Amino acid sequence: MASQYAHPEALVSTQWLADHLGDPSIRIVESNEDILLYHTGHVPSAVHIDWKADLQDPVLRDYITPEKFADLASRNGITPDTTVVFYGDKSNWWATYALWAFRLFGHTNVKVVNGGRDKWISEGRPLTRDKAEYPRTSYPVPVKRFDDEIRAFFADTLAQSKAGRPLIDVRSPGEFKGEITHMPEYPQEGVLRGGHVPGAKSIPWKTAANDDATFKSVDELTKIYTEGVGLKPDDDIIAYCRIGERSSHTWFVLTYLLGYKNVRNYDGSWTEWGNTVRAPIERG
Amino acid sequence: MSQYPPKLAEIVDLFEHLPEEEKRENLIAYADQAGSHSPKPGSSYDLEDVRKDEECTDTVGVFLSVADDQTVDLRVSLGAHVQTLTRAMTSILCTGLKGASIRQILDVSGDFVPKLVGGELVRARSQTVYYILTRIRSACKVWLDRKRAADLGIEYAPQNKTGCVAS
Repeated sequence: MASQYAHPEALVSTQWLADHLGDPSIRIVESNEDILLYHTGHVPSAVHIDWKADLQDPVLRDYITPEKFADLASRNGITPDTTVVFYGDKSNWWATYALWAFRLFGHTNVKVVNGGRDKWISEGRPLTRDKAEYPRTSYPVPVKRFDDEIRAFFADTLAQSKAGRPLIDVRSPGEFKGEITHMPEYPQEGVLRGGHVPGAKSIPWKTAANDDATFKSVDELTKIYTEGVGLKPDDDIIAYCRIGERSSHTWFVLTYLLGYKNVRNYDGSWTEWGNTVRAPIERG
Repeated sequence: MSQYPPKLAEIVDLFEHLPEEEKRENLIAYADQAGSHSPKPGSSYDLEDVRKDEECTDTVGVFLSVADDQTVDLRVSLGAHVQTLTRAMTSILCTGLKGASIRQILDVSGDFVPKLVGGELVRARSQTVYYILTRIRSACKVWLDRKRAADLGIEYAPQNKTGCVAS
């Protein structure tokens, strides 16, 4: 019998989602890279949360304030007791990113739909263009943002590197080696230098995903992260990519599927590190 | 400000006066129509340029038929993973450049794109909205270079890597 994920409750199947479409205790959230994709058709009753327009501060490179998060949750009919179920395109990159952002504000009732949008569609399940709207709630302003717990900044990552503690680079091998400064199939996002944070190990996010966008089994994930690179459940781990979306996928895998307790996502990632004057870089 | 071919100018003018929400709705409507601009089965074209570039998430094909007066019948094929904004831009360009000449198309600059897409949707990862125009202009340039070479009686030998195939 296969082993079970550390937090199996955090991952639901497309069938589970289909069975809960009318469940008032959940709010289904679609988050995509393709900005207009939700509007071309989405899971019935799902709302749309955009990784940039909704979750990021429009001026600073930072996330929204607790006040704005409370407003975002309220206008989507979410209360602190609501279970927020995320799904999206690109193997759930942005779904896990949005989930991580919700965790930043202390919302812990969260789940991801295994396989995301692609799996839902491939199974011939229904889509609608009807925009879902819910009565406004009064989500209380979170008392803090959990940056210290699940988010790493440049200084944290530099300290991690100098101390030789685990750093996981989830970008493509070409980006890690410094051969390219953008991920394959994407435009350049303004990075001046290529390479990786000294001491980081390359474990591309894709190694944790199957071709149908579902997550690999716990046994497979254990082989990759625990046996493969020697990560231990109590290790202090930082994951990074270019802007924090692919590393959110890995953060979800390590935190919820393997149960590692101290995983932080460095959302500044390579677009900060590779542009920072005198930031140390390894190549190859 | 650039002078756009008349049909493209009409579309730009329409979008410019729309609020963001209606811009979005119109972009979706154009994206829905992208498939209607695919090459017609069984048709042959004067120039076919089908390739998968680093800048785009899937294969894009540009097909040109050029009449004696150098007006262009433009067709574009899109892979399944091409993003919605890129689909919309394909549809807008195929509609807006209908009946335009090679020279008119080469003169179209990308400064109309922000007027269509709107501030909320412009971000680094949506830069492929410019990609389709670049591909169309590139195909027109290859066609024109090829024609000039033929007019001079010399063999055409492209220096770039457009991947264009003569039909």
